[in-house]
Amino acid sequence: MSLIQAENLTKVYGTGNTAVVALDHVQLTVNPGDFVAVMGPSGCGKSTLLHLLGGLDRPTEGAVSIDGQALAAMSDDAVTELRRRKIGFVFQFFNLIPILTSIENASLPLLLDGKNAADIKQKAVELLTKVGLGQRLDSRPNQLSAGQQQRVAIARALITEPILVLADEPTGNLDTRSSDEIVDLLKQVAKAWGRAVVMVTHDPRIAAYADRIIFLKDGKIVNDAHLEAKRTDNAEMVSHMMRTIA
Amino acid sequence: MKFQLTLAARYLSGRKLRTFLTTLAIVIGVMIIFGMGIYLPSFMDAFNKSLLSASGQTDVMITLKTGEAFSASSTLNRIKRIKGIETIAGSLERTINLPPDFYGKDSPVSALTLTGVDPSVAPKLHDYRLTQGRFLERGDGKVAVISERLADEIGLHVDDTLKLPTPEGVVKLTIVGLVPGRTLIGNEQVLVTLTEAQKLFDMSGRISVIEANLTSQDEAERDAIINTIKTQLGDTYAFGGLTSGSEFAGAMQLGQVVFNMFGVFALAMGGFIIFNTFRTIVAERRNDIGMLRAVGASRKTILSLVLTEGLVQGIVGTAIGLGLGYLLGVAMIAGAGSITKSLMNIEMEVVVEPLLIVVSITLGVGVTLFASLLPAWNASRVTPMEVLRPSSGQVIQHISRLATIVGVVMIGMAIAGLLTGVFAFVALGGVMFLIGLVLVAPALVKPIANIFGALLAMIFARGGTSLLAEGNLTRQPARAAITASATMIGLAIIVGAGGMMFSTVGTVMDMFGKSMGSDFLLIPPSVAVWKGDVGASATLKARINAVPGVGVVSSLRYAQSTLPPSAQTGSKGETVVSVLGINPVEFPQISSMDFRQGNAQDAFNALAANDRNVIVNGILATAANLNVGDVIPLVTPTGIKNYRIVAIGGEVLSMKINTAYISQASMKSDFRKSEDIFYQVNLAPGADPSTVEQRLSKVVENYPQFRLVAGHDYTAEFRQQYNAIFGGFYVLLALLAFPSLIAILNTLAIGVIERTREIGMLRAIGATRRQVWKTIVAEALLLASLGTAFGIFAGLYLSYVFVQGMSASGIFKVAYTFPLAGVLAAIAVGLLFGVLAALLPARQAASMEIVQALRYE
Amino acid sequence: MSVRHAMLGLLAQNPRHGYELRAAFHALVGGKKNWDVKPAQIYTTLTRLEQGGFVAEDGIEQDSGPEKRIYGITLAGRELLAEWFACGVEPGHQQDEFFLKLMIGLASGVADPYQLIQNQRTHLFQKLHDITKQRSNIDPGRELAMIFLLDKAAMHLEADLRWLDMIEGRLDEIKRQPLPEPESKPRGRPRKT
Repeated sequence: MSLIQAENLTKVYGTGNTAVVALDHVQLTVNPGDFVAVMGPSGCGKSTLLHLLGGLDRPTEGAVSIDGQALAAMSDDAVTELRRRKIGFVFQFFNLIPILTSIENASLPLLLDGKNAADIKQKAVELLTKVGLGQRLDSRPNQLSAGQQQRVAIARALITEPILVLADEPTGNLDTRSSDEIVDLLKQVAKAWGRAVVMVTHDPRIAAYADRIIFLKDGKIVNDAHLEAKRTDNAEMVSHMMRTIA
Repeated sequence: MKFQLTLAARYLSGRKLRTFLTTLAIVIGVMIIFGMGIYLPSFMDAFNKSLLSASGQTDVMITLKTGEAFSASSTLNRIKRIKGIETIAGSLERTINLPPDFYGKDSPVSALTLTGVDPSVAPKLHDYRLTQGRFLERGDGKVAVISERLADEIGLHVDDTLKLPTPEGVVKLTIVGLVPGRTLIGNEQVLVTLTEAQKLFDMSGRISVIEANLTSQDEAERDAIINTIKTQLGDTYAFGGLTSGSEFAGAMQLGQVVFNMFGVFALAMGGFIIFNTFRTIVAERRNDIGMLRAVGASRKTILSLVLTEGLVQGIVGTAIGLGLGYLLGVAMIAGAGSITKSLMNIEMEVVVEPLLIVVSITLGVGVTLFASLLPAWNASRVTPMEVLRPSSGQVIQHISRLATIVGVVMIGMAIAGLLTGVFAFVALGGVMFLIGLVLVAPALVKPIANIFGALLAMIFARGGTSLLAEGNLTRQPARAAITASATMIGLAIIVGAGGMMFSTVGTVMDMFGKSMGSDFLLIPPSVAVWKGDVGASATLKARINAVPGVGVVSSLRYAQSTLPPSAQTGSKGETVVSVLGINPVEFPQISSMDFRQGNAQDAFNALAANDRNVIVNGILATAANLNVGDVIPLVTPTGIKNYRIVAIGGEVLSMKINTAYISQASMKSDFRKSEDIFYQVNLAPGADPSTVEQRLSKVVENYPQFRLVAGHDYTAEFRQQYNAIFGGFYVLLALLAFPSLIAILNTLAIGVIERTREIGMLRAIGATRRQVWKTIVAEALLLASLGTAFGIFAGLYLSYVFVQGMSASGIFKVAYTFPLAGVLAAIAVGLLFGVLAALLPARQAASMEIVQALRYE
Repeated sequence: MSVRHAMLGLLAQNPRHGYELRAAFHALVGGKKNWDVKPAQIYTTLTRLEQGGFVAEDGIEQDSGPEKRIYGITLAGRELLAEWFACGVEPGHQQDEFFLKLMIGLASGVADPYQLIQNQRTHLFQKLHDITKQRSNIDPGRELAMIFLLDKAAMHLEADLRWLDMIEGRLDEIKRQPLPEPESKPRGRPRKT
């Protein structure tokens, strides 16, 4: 069964003459282990798609189900709970709480879930170590670099062991090197841990990490490219490349 | 919940200054309520203790409800034989207020309780446990047994002589024995034989207390016995000690209402400050909140998050407020002690009622929670989408049209209420006016800011600083209005209370001049609260009259009475009434009353006619809803007597106390009192004041309970005492003004924090530190001007309401005086506070590092 | 062209024989798979360089197998190398096949230009994805040079993708403009008048 099932997803902002169709009857399925990049020119509806998939906003038309649960049928609190338990979010501006330490920031979703404090801490430490922040456990966000802050945010997204991670321009505020590290981390989340990752980005280099790229234009999916690695012609392609360059 | 607490604690400690300032607001509110709450009951308590005798050692204690003495033969003999009574005895007990320094300079003893007991029966009722000497014996004359503590305090031993003021002049008693001090703090005891006490006070055959021990220990049987006694004596008697409060209670309740109002106003300001802070907090954290919502915090969690933060502040603020309030109460008791002691002969100690603690905590924590409720609700409405927006988008505040309309309507209703002249409407109108003004304030911010902005532009001529400041205020009209409202309430109270005081003092002094206009006065230790005063028998009056150069002498006599519930509409309990006996012929020659109903001529003639006629004062008439022509039953030692009201009016000394004026003849026949407690003396035409004063002081020499004062001296003294009492109000006003300082400081500090980036930008494009500083100060001045303008406006209204309310309540008529000094003080205080409040944030803004400010998120 | 200069450079490092030269070149560019140079090309180039006086024999190595001539760089060779280093490298992207495809598509109306762009984009992303993948398998501690090479390829692909975005965004404008046509010359002889 697919993890995300979006049917006829439509979102219209405003009414009458000022109405803007942000998303126009989009069909989409995402499976566990998928690492999907959503691309498209600005205003194409890629952020809107992410909001709808994450239950942050409600569609004007159409339906989303996550893990078999139809969001439309759920109350605000139920959607909130679904978000808390099954979805991890990574934002462009990290959105860490400035007054909390790495551990505490990473623990937030579990704290909100009212879990046992000691377990939470252990889990947070484990995750932060995995994302390479084992040395910065008690640092506040302002003591961390942008890349490190985003790692904390990823740890926060992963702490509930979500089945789906939604990332909105996760590298938008990072330098090239940190961007590579972060997107690599997201790729691992999909590949090694078997979660589905849906990431909005405008950077082709970042999108190329994904094994599926969805192109949106004017609220519609214009292309859905599966980039399965073809090892065989890979070497040949590069050599061709090199020669053209030379 | 632990998570909310952690987050709240972190947020609070993250912005220490702001947390401190907002918490301080709560601290002050709670401090005032709690401090006043300690002060007033302590005062009442001390008051009661000084008046009430100790009881409880005997099974039954019977007094007249009025506390007056009664005939021994008609009561004691009637119940003596009731079955089940083991021992029974009557005694005569009187509180004696001592003139200052009666036992030498700085003597701590200000009052005594003189008890005349039956030496043969009393030791069976009370265990006197003599520590030295002997107890009284039948036939003892001028001998006394006194408490050890009293002996210590005035440095006397067995066989020494104790001086006491009595209606017959100073008497000397030989101390024959010492008993331990009373466990209950109060006036120290002097025991003499009953016959001697009756002689000293010219009350032969009279007693004031009957005490009895019963044979049975069984509750039901005891109740049966007591009931038998009750039916024998009738309902003018009280069982189990004096239950009546005091004639002063009414006045004190009024004071308590005023003080509580101050506390509530202070807390309301605290509420405003908290509200303002939390609004800002929520606006600042929209991103954080959005993120929390996105990662799975429910609306409820967000709501409880903000409320928890409010709760933490409320609890901490209340705790500190309780501590400081206790100190305030203690300090006020210490400070006011000397005044009350000299004025009313009362010593106070600190009493904290559990209910007060509960009320203070409920109010302190409750107001904070209430104030953070709306911001918390708004926070819970933040959508998770907020997180995906770039940070620090300023939320533009719209002026709610509805709020403005409601505010205008409320102000309109308040004014209408004022015009009706009905006390309830006028008082309600005062509250509505303030709320209305708060609601209208946001809409008024812009026009008023424009006016003051133009003024400021003239002062800060160059640099566009005032323009910026004005812009900053009008951009956030709601916040500016809330801050201005806090200032407004503070200043409104200053102006309002100022107006009330000026009006009251003016009116009272006017009355005082009329009532106390005589050339000389003989005043007892306690004025107005007459009960403990020891008067003098008619001989003194005769002697004064005999002094050459004395023209007219008028005296007052005192008795206590009660008005049974049946005589009043609306009131459930008995009303304690202070009855003053006047000579209707002499009194009008030397003094006068202010009449609200009836006129002087008819009233005094009616009193002189020797029927049971009475003049009641305003506060009593209002409390019991009395009118001229009504007949009221007064409880007297000789039973309930019906008096007809001939006028409503009073003189200045008793204006705060339920008082009834009857003729001295009626007082003698019904209350069996012929003791003068207060004299007014006028000179004969052409007499030399200083010679007469010398002669008078010779006459009064043997009556140390009286102080001879020249009329104008007394007026001055009275004014001074009045000012001393109002001095306490001024301290309170300062305390109230303080939160408004915090409110301005808070808003400015928050404004600076919020605009950090903007200030960095200003600095980057070339604004000097000085210009930034000026902008912030100008903004503060604008805010302060707003608050001051509102405050004066509201204050004038409030003072008018106070005055109207006072007149409408019928206590006494007050003429309105425009509180010019109050207005000027408010302007000075408002602007000064504005600048003071600006200094810190302005410095902070000016000293900002450009690069860091630009990077600030 | 540049292989010649690369060989000169390698000889400037050390005198070597042809086989060594080829191995060193491959090592530098990250293996045969990236840029294969056939032995024949090495030897032809060496011969030409020797003829031009840019390299000279520097000895003969004789192990167990056949003897191998060792070449070293000459003074003239060093000058040529310095010249090469001094001048910039011409980028050569004007002959773009996709551009041709798109223009033919537009001109002929046989293919949907948007579809062409989508196809090309998918193709380029596929390449980029593969390079990214290959790059992530390389240990930056040992083969940093290789990573740089792949980065270059990735960046060129990025540029191409951006270029596609740009074309896509303004395709309608292009459609409205007249297609570039050759100057019309009358066919055959001018008509008689």
